Amino acid sequence: MQNKARIYTVSQVNLLVKVALEERLPSRLTVRGEISDWKLHKESGHCYFSLKDEDGVLPCVMWASSFRGVKFAPEDGMAVLATGHIDVYMAGGKYQLYVDKLELEGVGALQLAFEQMVRKLAAEGLFDEAHKKPLPAYPMRIGILTSESGAAIEDIKDSIWNRWPCARLFLYPVPVQGEGAAQKIAAALRDVNRRNKKLSLDVLIVGRGGGSPEDLWAFNEEVLARAIYDSKIPVISAVGHEIDTTIADFVADARASTPTKAGVVAVPDIREVLSELANKENRLAHKTKGQLELVWQKLQTLLASSVFRNPLLPVHNREQEIDDLQTAMRSSVRELLAQAQRKLSESYEQVRKIEPHRLLGRKMVELNNWQNLANSGIKGIINNCRMKLTAAANRLGALNPKSVLERGFSITTSKKTGLIVRSLSDIEIGDLLITELVRENLIESKVTNKVKR
Amino acid sequence: MADKKQNNNISKLSFEQAIKDLTSIVSKIEQGQIPLQDSLEQYERGMALIKHCRGILQQAEKRIEKIATEEKSEDR
Repeated sequence: MQNKARIYTVSQVNLLVKVALEERLPSRLTVRGEISDWKLHKESGHCYFSLKDEDGVLPCVMWASSFRGVKFAPEDGMAVLATGHIDVYMAGGKYQLYVDKLELEGVGALQLAFEQMVRKLAAEGLFDEAHKKPLPAYPMRIGILTSESGAAIEDIKDSIWNRWPCARLFLYPVPVQGEGAAQKIAAALRDVNRRNKKLSLDVLIVGRGGGSPEDLWAFNEEVLARAIYDSKIPVISAVGHEIDTTIADFVADARASTPTKAGVVAVPDIREVLSELANKENRLAHKTKGQLELVWQKLQTLLASSVFRNPLLPVHNREQEIDDLQTAMRSSVRELLAQAQRKLSESYEQVRKIEPHRLLGRKMVELNNWQNLANSGIKGIINNCRMKLTAAANRLGALNPKSVLERGFSITTSKKTGLIVRSLSDIEIGDLLITELVRENLIESKVTNKVKR
Repeated sequence: MADKKQNNNISKLSFEQAIKDLTSIVSKIEQGQIPLQDSLEQYERGMALIKHCRGILQQAEKRIEKIATEEKSEDR
């Protein structure tokens, strides 16, 4: 009787299997496989499908509540990772995977690629703290590299201006997802750096809003990581949601967990800065005032000293000396004057005694006498001389040879010798003779004959 | 003249530089080891710096400018 085999009901068997599975299997597991027989139940929204590989099939179910979290539309043939737990479906007599998370298997590949890239770049030192540039304390010109149309630009803008309205924002529109996005963001970073002499941006924010891992993938790419690393302008990353971490976050000089936090990372709070300014103003005024008061007190002490109480005393002393000197000088000058006056009077008396006007009269008479005497003397001498002159002239007239000419005589000279002809020997036949008559009339003649008597 | 020149210089300072200068002036004056004449000059400069900083903080255009990519503008 005891050997008699126990007979179970169907439900009992299924229950045993269920308990066995619960005891033996991990409470949660991820299964790699390919979707087949995908069915989405229209009314309930629950999904029924199978995962298969070369050797087998695993029935799966995913409730509508879980399916809402799936970002892609599953199709037969897709390679996926399904996470959930195994349980027995008693009504169907089968065990199945109750899926609560379904990912494309490619995402797993992305995860792997991400980890590999992190290791590679970390080994190269791209994430080193030593390379990170300090952020400017008061950025006034902020460059933002993100999509023109996304929510991120609004979030970043608001988060900055709420704290720091004086900043000027410069948007460099770039695609933030899809093929080539990373290259374009990297190119934009290098472009801004190249042109920053003109743009003079203090800090850059690179980011985008939340999305699927694929959407954020551009921010994991090497080309962007290197562009961030090479940027001379400090770079703040602001990518996705809080939980998302990208390579851009690792390599950037600072990380904002989301675009809405960009302002907190990038800029100071204007209220704090203003109160710091007010504080400095107070300290400056207080200290300077204190110093002024101190100096004022010193000045008061100085002013109380005798020099300042009676500052004119030395001057007055000097003035008195001058007065004394002046008095002394006056009296000595007066004395000198009196002496000179006395001397003058004495001299005047002496001069008066000489009677100069009478002396002058006598001398005048003498002078007249002398003058008359001189006049008559000179007249006599002149007459005498005139008579002697006339007599001499008369004698001289009788001796002048030319006065003989008046009486009809003439003077003959040889033209050749210019000498007066006195004898026949003075001339030759043929000589020319010049005969001078009265009043210098001349006759020229030729000697034709000489007659000696 | 010198004062005017100084003020002109201040108006060209960046906010960061102005704050830096201001901080150094405050600490110099608080140490109290500078002559009165200098400290009055420093006080005036400090006040001018504060005014300059407040002026910068009051600017709020709140307008996003767009950086045109250079390649495009050159191509066209």
